[in-house]
Amino acid sequence: MSSKDQEQDKLLVHEDEKHLLLDHSYDNIQELNHPLPNWWNTIFIVSTVYAIGYFVYYQYMGGPSLREEFKKDFTEVAAVRDHFKKQNEIFNPDHYQAIVADDGLNKGKAVYELNCMPCHMERGAGDVGPNLTDDHWIVAKGTPDTVYQVVFNGSEENGMPAWGQLIPKDEVYQAVAYVMSLKNTFVKGKEPQGEKIEE
Amino acid sequence: MSASLDGKPRNGRLESFTYDDGIVKLFVIATLIWGVVALFLGVTIAFQMADWHVNLGLPWTTFGRLRPLHTNAAIFAFCGNAIFAGIYYSHQRLLKARLFSDTLSKIHFWGWQLIIVSAALTLPFGITTGKEYAELEWPIDIAITLIWVVFAVNFFGTIIRRRERHIYVAIWFYIATILTVAVLHIVNSLEIPVTLTKSYSLYAGVQDALVQWWYGHNAVAFFLTTPFLGLMYYFVPKAANRPVYSYRLSIIHFWSLVFIYIWAGPHHLLYTTLPEWAQTLGMVFSVMLWMPSWGGMINGLMTLRGVWDKVRTEPSLRFMAAALTFYGMSTFEGPLLSIKSVNAIAHFTDWIPGHVHSGTIGWNYMLIAGILFFLVPKLWNTELYSKKLAHQQFWFVTIGLVLYIISMWVAGITQSMMWRAMDDAGNLIYPNFVETVIKITPMYWIRAIGGTLVLTSFIMMMYNFWKTIKNGKKEAPVVYEAYALDSSSIEHDASAHRKLEGWPMIFSVLSLIAILVGSAIEIIPSLMADKYVVKIDAIKPYTALELYGRDVYIKEGCYLCHSQTVRPMAHEAVRYGKVSNAAEFVYDHPFQWGSKRTGPDLARVGGKYPNMWHYKHFFDPREVTAGSLMPQYRWLFDSKIDYKTLPKKLEVMRKLGVPYSQEEIDNSVADARAQAKMIAEDLAQSGVPMKIAEMDVVALIAYIQRIGVDYGSIPEEE
Repeated sequence: MSSKDQEQDKLLVHEDEKHLLLDHSYDNIQELNHPLPNWWNTIFIVSTVYAIGYFVYYQYMGGPSLREEFKKDFTEVAAVRDHFKKQNEIFNPDHYQAIVADDGLNKGKAVYELNCMPCHMERGAGDVGPNLTDDHWIVAKGTPDTVYQVVFNGSEENGMPAWGQLIPKDEVYQAVAYVMSLKNTFVKGKEPQGEKIEE
Repeated sequence: MSASLDGKPRNGRLESFTYDDGIVKLFVIATLIWGVVALFLGVTIAFQMADWHVNLGLPWTTFGRLRPLHTNAAIFAFCGNAIFAGIYYSHQRLLKARLFSDTLSKIHFWGWQLIIVSAALTLPFGITTGKEYAELEWPIDIAITLIWVVFAVNFFGTIIRRRERHIYVAIWFYIATILTVAVLHIVNSLEIPVTLTKSYSLYAGVQDALVQWWYGHNAVAFFLTTPFLGLMYYFVPKAANRPVYSYRLSIIHFWSLVFIYIWAGPHHLLYTTLPEWAQTLGMVFSVMLWMPSWGGMINGLMTLRGVWDKVRTEPSLRFMAAALTFYGMSTFEGPLLSIKSVNAIAHFTDWIPGHVHSGTIGWNYMLIAGILFFLVPKLWNTELYSKKLAHQQFWFVTIGLVLYIISMWVAGITQSMMWRAMDDAGNLIYPNFVETVIKITPMYWIRAIGGTLVLTSFIMMMYNFWKTIKNGKKEAPVVYEAYALDSSSIEHDASAHRKLEGWPMIFSVLSLIAILVGSAIEIIPSLMADKYVVKIDAIKPYTALELYGRDVYIKEGCYLCHSQTVRPMAHEAVRYGKVSNAAEFVYDHPFQWGSKRTGPDLARVGGKYPNMWHYKHFFDPREVTAGSLMPQYRWLFDSKIDYKTLPKKLEVMRKLGVPYSQEEIDNSVADARAQAKMIAEDLAQSGVPMKIAEMDVVALIAYIQRIGVDYGSIPEEE
């Protein structure tokens, strides 16, 4: 007997599976022929039926497409956003005064440093965005209500985001309070842009 | 003697032969070397995601360049060499025949190593096609094709010279692997060269995405799954010394696996602009794939019946049992992630790399380790140096992998929930993308630590094998005897499938047909592009400078962290803007939708920020986005735009169907210079010197400012 035969002899075949051993041998690998597990068969069939049903429903029986579902969702979201925007985009002078009175300047400085500074730089010197410390204005007119409009709705053509959709309303007011305090401080920075506003 | 071979009387010619184990040894050594390289690269980029400083500020050490090197090294170098080692060892023995040609074996080995070295010499330098897992440029693509053909000839030549009538299930899987990988590689790599190191994909946009993910998904299927299932079918019964559990299950799960797997590619493109019927096919075939995948796990684990005590003591069996378990886990997770509503949450998040690594580390690394613990002592004719070290290695890799998987589940789901969180006013609760990144950074640290454990485990194995091989004893090659094939081995009353196993060439043709059916049904409609994608006139080709900038984007691997597709979901439309349309991408050779959002989507970034914002951002992302993970791209500020390549680039694009006029091609250099000057003038207002007009960063800004603008500016139809 060669050593290979001995190796074959050692092949471990349990009593209860001997009748399942097939007459196949490849490099001494043998195969049993257990039936397919029932749970395996069942899940395979169920997943196939599900797959066919799913495809038929969504492709041929009018199941909603992803785009249609999106349109439905987005219409609802857009309505809520629209409502909110209409409610808040109008500058409220009384609310502004109340915000200013409630330590608005310091709170506004914190909001500014977190959100505005990357583009308008420290103390409004300007870099990516315009200098906020001169007497020139591109979109706003240097008054709290016009500055509020630009912060709240942004200015798409100038790359200013609509912060009304990004931060809470009161933070917009606080930021405006801080920006108003920068006006005409003439910090050395970006050259004036836009029109000069005389007061 | 005849009885010792297969127990049946034979009247043919008795032949003596030896096996070529030298080539197997070479592939084993290559597996170990590339394995540690791949894992080291993986750990490096894992730390880069935890802390951007680890990018080191050099172009060739930055994430976007190293990530493709990691994936290519892990898949094609580490797993590739392991596949070749295992196939060459088992194929000879299962067929009782030496490999067809020793020369072809050597060409195969050295050719493959050369391809790996050329990948290492191109990817870190930004030479890439920008298609995931198929980044290698066209000359290397051709080399891969040639070497694969060498492998196939050697493989099928051995089958022709076999002394065993029937082919065993392991060989079925090898056949499916060799044929399918050839088809996938050739179809996905069709591209037109611009220079020796640059080409553009033949396909654009949606079509390119479909072909790419048909390829990408099936690279997992036919490079990381089918060959390893084949190896499992040889090495598990060998190491356990047990008969395989169920021949019937082998047949059913083999055919269902190869037929179904190929359809599942579009599950990588759910919620994109791929036609929805194709997306739905991708999802439902993935669901159907669950049981065929588990067939392999059952056949492997049930084969271990009665030898579980050996699983505790034998390193080879222990790693194999763990591999089969992780295989079961990740092939359950895969179909789960393909269900549209789950995918909506998981796609673009860290859950996906977590899933991928439960496959590549849990299944591929573990199975390779199991095979090597069986093979190395046999090949070098000695005993394993230390079982204890092997068991310690097992715990290192297992704990490392569990840390990896769990941290990525937590990171992925956390971030996804933050992306979609909205308040009552319909505003995003986390409008700044970077907030969602900062939140999950601790998970990136845990993943990096997990990865380090996995790397450590691999080094332990290398040491173990080094000590083992040093003790190896030289032995004259064993001479085997077997009868030449003759009619006496034909089983006349055999079942149909058994007969088929005796006709390997017909078997090969049938398995090729099995993978071509799904491929054809999904891909051919996309080639009829006019009906597939409805064109929109407002969408124009890129200018020369933008096209050049796009190549910079591809070169730096931006697509590895940024997607370019807004999915039809309310929170994405709020965060990014108008949902993407298939027509937007018709000039994108290759498409750049990406597969992961480590940073935000860029499909609507054009015009969103001023040029100066981008200028500062590329110099140091943290100047404009505090807490950003993005590397600095300072070399773009002093590498000059290579204007002279522009006419050729536009010309190749025109060949691909992008409508550039002759005038635009002739004037491309002047046009690009003019556009660069405009951007530089804008930057000059913030004090940037005008010489920036000559630099790559300006071209990249030009491209970024163009992305999504044409479609984004069309008024919403209602």
